[in-house]
Amino acid sequence: MIRSTLRTITGRRGSFRGGGLVILAGIFLVIVVLLVVNELRPVRNPSIGGQPMLDGVGGVVWALGIVIGILVGALAGSYDVAQGTMRYLVLTGVGRVRLYAARTIALVAAIGLLLLPALAIGIVAVLVLPSDPNDEVTAGELADVVWTAVVWPLVFALIAMGIGSVLRSNGVAIAISLLFAFAASPLLTLLEAWNETIGDLMLLPALDRVTGGGSSLAIPVAALAVFGWVAVPWLLGLARHLRDEY
Amino acid sequence: MSEADPIIRLDGVTKRFGSKVAVSDISFDVGRGRCLGWLGPNGSGKTTLIRCMLGLARVTSGTIQVRGHAIPAEAGSALERVGGIVEEPRFYPYLTGRRNLEVWAGLVGDGARERIAPALERVGLAADGERRVKQYSMGMRQRLGVARSLLGDPELLILDEPSNGLDPSGMADFRAMIRSFVEEDGRTVFISSHLLDEVEKIADDIAIVHEGRLVLHGTVDELVAAGRRGIRLRVDDAERAVSILQGLRFITRVERRGDGELGVTLERHDDAAAIAVTRALVVAGVGVAELARERATLEERFLQITGGSAADEPR
Repeated sequence: MIRSTLRTITGRRGSFRGGGLVILAGIFLVIVVLLVVNELRPVRNPSIGGQPMLDGVGGVVWALGIVIGILVGALAGSYDVAQGTMRYLVLTGVGRVRLYAARTIALVAAIGLLLLPALAIGIVAVLVLPSDPNDEVTAGELADVVWTAVVWPLVFALIAMGIGSVLRSNGVAIAISLLFAFAASPLLTLLEAWNETIGDLMLLPALDRVTGGGSSLAIPVAALAVFGWVAVPWLLGLARHLRDEY
Repeated sequence: MSEADPIIRLDGVTKRFGSKVAVSDISFDVGRGRCLGWLGPNGSGKTTLIRCMLGLARVTSGTIQVRGHAIPAEAGSALERVGGIVEEPRFYPYLTGRRNLEVWAGLVGDGARERIAPALERVGLAADGERRVKQYSMGMRQRLGVARSLLGDPELLILDEPSNGLDPSGMADFRAMIRSFVEEDGRTVFISSHLLDEVEKIADDIAIVHEGRLVLHGTVDELVAAGRRGIRLRVDDAERAVSILQGLRFITRVERRGDGELGVTLERHDDAAAIAVTRALVVAGVGVAELARERATLEERFLQITGGSAADEPR
């Protein structure tokens, strides 16, 4: 069932395949830029691989991954209802909770499939392309970048899936999810000015803490806060899915 | 559950949307191995009842049993061997027909994957299975919808307007396919359609819903036999024939249709009545060139029962 659901997500050319290609293109762009600047000013830019490449790869996968994760997640939540296929999924007799759970797991797998090829190519570039000894990266640094580049898109994809399941309209779900990520979430961090702890519990600071950023919040508390930010829209989506008539 | 038990049992089913009553107190059984035509004007509650039977919508009151299981409480067991099309078959347009069926087979389980090729073959899409669904015509999507319905080896097929988008030759094939589900496979088919002449050719039983209420349920033959009873005559002296026929007690109406043709409505519709008409005319010296029984079509009966006009009723 999960494989079937995954196929419906990965089969979408625009969001999934197109998104995957955009991220890969981003990685190749980073490689090309570092090759060019190394060629033009080798003293100032002695490394192509190593730390500069890791920063570039991590940044590209993180930034593009969030945007494309939102697209893929929102569609995972809304598409079946908007397209009218949901009633045929329900008609199979598979319980609605199982359908929703399968969609969630399939989305997690899809985000992995979306990001990991680009990360793999990026890591190979980090390790293989020539770099100055001062720019060499450790396994821990590599792991940190991979963790950050996967967790942020995954969290926003799951939130978008919940939003999509509630709103049931592809365009609206994508728009609201993007607004949440790039307008509402940054604005909410301003609560820090009022109360530091509350500010730290907002999604962006908590996510930053979980992925190695520096706030005073304990990591388990930050993880719990992130879980809560994901759980609320996810549960609202599940509630709508259970209640809706198709 | 025995074979004698109905495959669908509806008992006092009512569905409201706010203050609007879409389906009102509907009760009837559907026997196994038969094809039931579910008819009604647009907006009469046909699709709403189908959605309730398939666990897609909740009833406001009453109970539904499918394959002996209550809907929606035991929908999982009930729907295990039920296939359906509701309103319009929907698919993932970016996947091929075969890939779409693979998606559903993954959910249905239990050998569904092995049924994909035979299902495509059966609906005549074997050669088009590798095309993306967005390239399919409406008729092809309808047929793919039927193929999807067959993946679970269903005892019961519930098809809502399945012949939409089919051309006339496709319609004949489709009719034969539906009959083969009943006659060869022993499946039960519950089919809603606005194409009354098609339903008349496909269905064994008919149920008619009007303004949310069940107004008639019986076999097609019973339904049609209860309709207009008459004969059509072509004679050499229409004027004289009319005066003779108006003198016969069991004739309720004689209508002149021109060119020596008469429409005669009878109190009873048996051989004796037809013989009596012929004899009366011949004895009076009126030549009878042609005599044929006229039976009400399902469409005429449908319009009679629902009190509709051709403009707002199904074709």
